[in-house]
Amino acid sequence: MIGFIGLDVGSVSTNIVFLDDEGRVRESVYLRTNGRPIPAVQKGLKQISRLVPPRTVIRGVGATGSGRHLAGIIAGADVIKNEITSHATASSRLVPGVRTVLEIGGQDSKIIILRDGIVADFAMNTVCAAGTGSFLDQQAARLNVQIEDFGELSLKSSSPVRIAGRCAVFAESDMIHKQQMGHDLPDILAGLCEALVRNYLNNVGKGKDISGPVVFQGGVAANLGMRSAFERALKKEIVIPPNYDVMGAVGAAMLARDYVSRGAPTAFKGFGAAETDFRARSFECDGCPNFCEVVELSESGAVIARWGDRCGKWSNSVPQIACG
Amino acid sequence: MTVKIGIPRALLFHNFIPYWKTFFEGIGAEVVISGLTNKAILQDGLRLSVDEACLPVKVAFGHVEHLKNKADYIFIPRLVSVFPREYICPKFLGFPDMVRQNVQGLPGVIDNNINMYRRESDLYRQFFEIGSLICGNPFKIALAIKKAGDAIKRFTARVESGLRPDRAIDSSYSEDGPAGRKDTTVAVIGHPYNIYDSFINIGLLKRLEDAGINVLTTDNVPEKEVNDHVAHLNKKLFWTLGRRMVGAAYHFLESPGISGIIHVASFACGPDSMTGELIERKARRIGSKPYLNLTLDEHTGEAGIVTRVEAFLDMVGTKEQAARC
Repeated sequence: MIGFIGLDVGSVSTNIVFLDDEGRVRESVYLRTNGRPIPAVQKGLKQISRLVPPRTVIRGVGATGSGRHLAGIIAGADVIKNEITSHATASSRLVPGVRTVLEIGGQDSKIIILRDGIVADFAMNTVCAAGTGSFLDQQAARLNVQIEDFGELSLKSSSPVRIAGRCAVFAESDMIHKQQMGHDLPDILAGLCEALVRNYLNNVGKGKDISGPVVFQGGVAANLGMRSAFERALKKEIVIPPNYDVMGAVGAAMLARDYVSRGAPTAFKGFGAAETDFRARSFECDGCPNFCEVVELSESGAVIARWGDRCGKWSNSVPQIACG
Repeated sequence: MTVKIGIPRALLFHNFIPYWKTFFEGIGAEVVISGLTNKAILQDGLRLSVDEACLPVKVAFGHVEHLKNKADYIFIPRLVSVFPREYICPKFLGFPDMVRQNVQGLPGVIDNNINMYRRESDLYRQFFEIGSLICGNPFKIALAIKKAGDAIKRFTARVESGLRPDRAIDSSYSEDGPAGRKDTTVAVIGHPYNIYDSFINIGLLKRLEDAGINVLTTDNVPEKEVNDHVAHLNKKLFWTLGRRMVGAAYHFLESPGISGIIHVASFACGPDSMTGELIERKARRIGSKPYLNLTLDEHTGEAGIVTRVEAFLDMVGTKEQAARC
């Protein structure tokens, strides 16, 4: 059979999916990036290679997420696409008629407004990371709650406490205050979900026309407390699609499938890329007062890519891969 | 010896440099302009300025720092008003004072008021006073002011014909360059010191042009067009730059040749938060043009800008494709 690979390398998780010829999601792998995207991508490729049926030919690879360029170079991607377009592609094909996509990931959150299947508007969180997955992670760890149990526990709340969600630092001190006052853990957790949803809707969703069907995806969609807080705030049913946590990768794979269907050969380097020795190093260029931090990626000792320079002095001096 | 006048490439530089340069050269001075913003300038700016200032003001501090040893005078006029009945941001008013307080080892500072709040013709007297600081010949000053006025008129005409101010400054720039030949045009709305400073906006205009997009900006819209569009607002916008941004954006929203609008705002800019809102609401009401808001701050990373711009261009592209089908 033939199939397609989608890679989504985010700040917190690295997701890899395998799509069959029809574009259906067959396999998916969800890993923690742990601040080291190269090993994460390699580990993911290795895991997915064991899951794909034998004698499968990979016809196309798509990469997305903040580490998309890195992932794209390592795996040999045909399409390197931003997260907005990838997420929108996946949800519009998996949930026909979707009009709003709420996506909350590790370090960023976004809202995508679709009309007739195409992106009409979008927004991402600005300078503030309050209301993203890593803040929930951090608070769960502080309260000694497994992040997996967070949602379940928060649903036991009878009266969620009011927490200021404007800023992660203030939200934390507010939570500590509430906890010292003697409020119940579920009430605090539910209050935190409500605060994050409020912050998301005021900041990311500001002024947007949130009409249904509303899809909630990204790693945080696993949290039932967040889902129910969204339902209460929007007074709408929230759809959580299967594969909600790997939708970016699904979208990237779909875009790769579209791309190669026009007859292009794939740039995929094969699952052997998981075994290749990739090394990244960075240095400060002192060619001008900008002092750009240049990242250099080498494969088995040979430099294959550089980026991070403003003028192109370093990035243009290695052969570039085509971006779809 | 010729007097050297240092002019920072910051704040309203892109609006008035043809006037300022022609004027100072007309009275026999040499004009030294600071280089393009770079990391060193930004770092110095951050170190020297007050924390509450917005990024463009911080950047301007850096430019002053980098000019101070290269000129006999630094020209940082107190820009109160550049249009009758309108104001410039208060941070600009206070800029010369903040510089005097925070930058050590300054040469002479020319910080005369530029205030056209009452009438435009007050500008003549104000520049006459500036000229008298350096030049003893009143006829020469008068002539320099006249020449400066002509220079800014020529510059405005070039800009209003569609040339970017940062290119129009360069008189050798050929107008039939790479611009103007592309199918898709995007309008970039923002303060000139944000949209033409490729360091602080992380190469926004170049990114668009490299993606095959033709760019028009706030400054390309003639004054009359701007005023016709803001005339319908309930209340007069008394910030000159804000009025220009809103009027230009409204004009672009109604222009069939424009495929999308990018609003570039400074984090912590009061007027921007309001003009951005006015533009976004209208864009949404009309609903036919993709709109993107980019907020710039010293922490702005390349990834954030790139992702947003790429997604915006995808949105513009699919919309155009859908329209063709």
